[in-house]
Amino acid sequence: MANIELLILITLSLGLLSYVLYHFSPRLSSALTILGSFFVFGSVLYHGYIGSFDVSSTLLPYVSFSSSALSIFFAVIITFTYAMVSLFNPYFLKTHKAGNVHNLLFLSTLAFVLGVLFTNHFMTMFFFFEAVVWTSLFMIPLKGSKSAAIMYYRFSAFGSFALLGAIFLLKANSGTFLITESLAVVDGAHQLVIFILLVVAGMAKLGAFPFHIWLPEVLGKAPDHTSALFSGGLEKLGAFIIVFALVRVAPVGATFAAIDLAWSRYAVAILGALTIVFGTLMAIRQDDAKKLLAYSSMSNGGYMLVAFSLMNSISVMGGLYHVLAHALASVAAFLAIAAVARQTNTTKMSELGGMIHKMPITYMVYLIAIISMAGIPPMGGFISKWLIFQAVINKGLIFVAVAVFFGSVGSFLYVFRPLAALFLGQELPQYKKTLKEAPSLMLLAMLILSVLNIFTGVFPTPILKVINTVIVEMGMNEVVLTTFTIEGFNGLLHPGLIALVFMVGVFVAFVIFISLKKSKKVGLMDTYTAGNFIYTEELMHYSVDFYAPLERLYEKYIDIARNVYRSLDHKIKEFARLIKYFIFTYKPEITAFWVVLILILFLWGDIA
Amino acid sequence: MIISLLIGLGVALGGFTFQTALGGVNRKIVARLQKRVGPRWYQEFIDIFKLLSKRSVSHGWIFDFGVIMALGGIIGTAMFMPVTSNILAFPSFDNFFIFVYLLAVGMLGMAMSASGSGNPLASIGVMRALTTMVAYEIPFMIVVLTIIKLAGTSSVSGIAEFQQMAGNNWFMIALPLGFVVAVLSLMGMLGKKPFETYIAPAEIASGPMVEYGGKQLGMLFIMHEITVFIEVSLFVHLFLGGAENIWMFAIKYFLVYAGLNLVSNVNGRFKIDQVVVFFYKWPLAMAVVQAIIAIYLGWVI
Repeated sequence: MANIELLILITLSLGLLSYVLYHFSPRLSSALTILGSFFVFGSVLYHGYIGSFDVSSTLLPYVSFSSSALSIFFAVIITFTYAMVSLFNPYFLKTHKAGNVHNLLFLSTLAFVLGVLFTNHFMTMFFFFEAVVWTSLFMIPLKGSKSAAIMYYRFSAFGSFALLGAIFLLKANSGTFLITESLAVVDGAHQLVIFILLVVAGMAKLGAFPFHIWLPEVLGKAPDHTSALFSGGLEKLGAFIIVFALVRVAPVGATFAAIDLAWSRYAVAILGALTIVFGTLMAIRQDDAKKLLAYSSMSNGGYMLVAFSLMNSISVMGGLYHVLAHALASVAAFLAIAAVARQTNTTKMSELGGMIHKMPITYMVYLIAIISMAGIPPMGGFISKWLIFQAVINKGLIFVAVAVFFGSVGSFLYVFRPLAALFLGQELPQYKKTLKEAPSLMLLAMLILSVLNIFTGVFPTPILKVINTVIVEMGMNEVVLTTFTIEGFNGLLHPGLIALVFMVGVFVAFVIFISLKKSKKVGLMDTYTAGNFIYTEELMHYSVDFYAPLERLYEKYIDIARNVYRSLDHKIKEFARLIKYFIFTYKPEITAFWVVLILILFLWGDIA
Repeated sequence: MIISLLIGLGVALGGFTFQTALGGVNRKIVARLQKRVGPRWYQEFIDIFKLLSKRSVSHGWIFDFGVIMALGGIIGTAMFMPVTSNILAFPSFDNFFIFVYLLAVGMLGMAMSASGSGNPLASIGVMRALTTMVAYEIPFMIVVLTIIKLAGTSSVSGIAEFQQMAGNNWFMIALPLGFVVAVLSLMGMLGKKPFETYIAPAEIASGPMVEYGGKQLGMLFIMHEITVFIEVSLFVHLFLGGAENIWMFAIKYFLVYAGLNLVSNVNGRFKIDQVVVFFYKWPLAMAVVQAIIAIYLGWVI
């Protein structure tokens, strides 16, 4: 489907159809959702790749579209996330409170996301953005948590108001709502305010510090497979806005001479660094696997902020590639956890253990995902982190580098924890009988994601060439690429070679292993216990407070941001009560007094 | 390509042999320090081959798979390592970050295998190893950032050649504060006292390794020796100007390794949170100060 408008309308009507169909056959409704998601993904990928999108708009009033390499890049990632998550839908609808609306909401958000990405008019974009918020909002409480949805709405609304403010200022500045035209001529007194508002809008959507509170709440409490959607899809819309603010708007303010970077951008990079550090520290101490991955999403959002704020081709390429690599890795990890949670009804690591024995494929999917997430070769996350490191080192950003390296090493800690506590360790007796490997559709989605995680790490240059067109479109120089290598500021990278050498190493190790005497297989309880007799699996399973010695060092300080918001909340309520007491009272004479006073104020000039 | 891969495998094998022999020699040196006679210099070889020949137990497929992944990752990392400017399997692809991150694959494999054994003592050991890693890695990477920024390349052999050029000092002298930090970090990497909490002999039943025996333990010993080879060679190339020929490399390597062993043997053991606090206090501050001095102010000796 080459016409974007038709694509959006068809997706919306498929959503309505799936809602109606659900009442006859939930299974058919889910099948329709899967077909619809794959149809959208296929259309976006095909027409995006050969550049044959039809942007004409005839049916919807006031709406106009345009297609750019940037929007196609984001659209492919987000629609792919939707397609993968849709394969999980049929297995989760029964557990939902209102399963009948899920497919409708799912396809509507997909349609509105396309609207956000492809419109060329700021007000239309704002409308679609709000539509995405309002539809995705109702997907969160389907598992039963209303508070997370409210939290999501509050931060989203804050981001939306910031965006709206920026849009109005841009209009005042340039006289047009068209995106490209108005962003091109940002100048004058409004420049800094527009920059700040756009950055705030993007950061609120991305869940960056200090607007990160909603992210773990939503991703932790949303239905298990929906969390993947938020992390891999909707959160990335924040990155899309950040690109507007940091790459397409000219730098604002004085330049910091030592590092040749505008102060305003340096401030954003520092906020990104703080996001990385806070996300990492909080992820390390979570007991809930989904919340842990949520904080890791936050920390990875910090990498994107750092990358986009540095303003050169390598860093922007690193940032865009990180959007892709993180989407693939985090969706795979969330879906693997969802596959476990579907059968165990919990995502708490302290209640799980030994899943690998019954779900080995899910385990391998999770393993590949976390290798990518931790930025270890030969997976996609390594390429993007390498590019970001190149940019950070080249600029000599020491304090940002501390955070970037900390986040990178810290991610080994937190991604290993679900691996050890949830998948490995003792096989707990309550899951021994009932647990099965995930059903085939879920496995299909997870395997596709794993293959892509490996592919993006072994042979990234075709994708990087696509990103090069995005970079050129935004007015920067191309990054030098050959068929296999990437040239950074201070070195060459040959991802395929790394994978090959790694495989050779594993092959050698494998040959050593099988050429030696075969081992005798023993059970998991048959272990060294220092002379104690232990017969219960729980006692032999180390999963509670995994990093206790490290957590002890900072657990006093973890509530600061939350407390700030809580007291802000309190202050706002207090102020509102004050206003209510004086203005909106039950006494008619006071109301009449205010009405008269306000009328006098309004008519002041006319009377005099 | 085949030739390069064979050279790489040669470096890995040579590194293993050299480090294992040196490990034996160092046991001798330490023994003399403690007024013992000590084992023969080839004792480490005997230990490893004995283990490889024994029949062992396995706790499931992940237990074995993790060991293969660990040794494979480390062999792969060693294949990229330059020995001298000429003995180098993949010229211009010996990026510093490959060493740091490909090494992590091996570590992950070992951690996975240890947790897969089902023994909580192993998991505690892994937790301590990862916590130690998050402590020593950051100051070290900041110092390396300074080096890469000054040398203009992240290729390890390129950095070594940069120091050999006339007018440039070794980074050991050029960045004195950074050198101290790197020595401390190297002690953390090698698991030398006072940062050997994750093995902690006589405390947690030898940490991650508790369940291993036979060929699995033998392979992890090989992995450990190659890891030490990678880390010490990295140090030689980054701070001691690399090596023009293989003898210089051997001498520098021996001095670094023996020196660290001597320092380590007069120390006690930190608790795990003390390790973290220690590294985030002085070494990190020194690394940042060094980076500011060298990058922003341009004061390099």
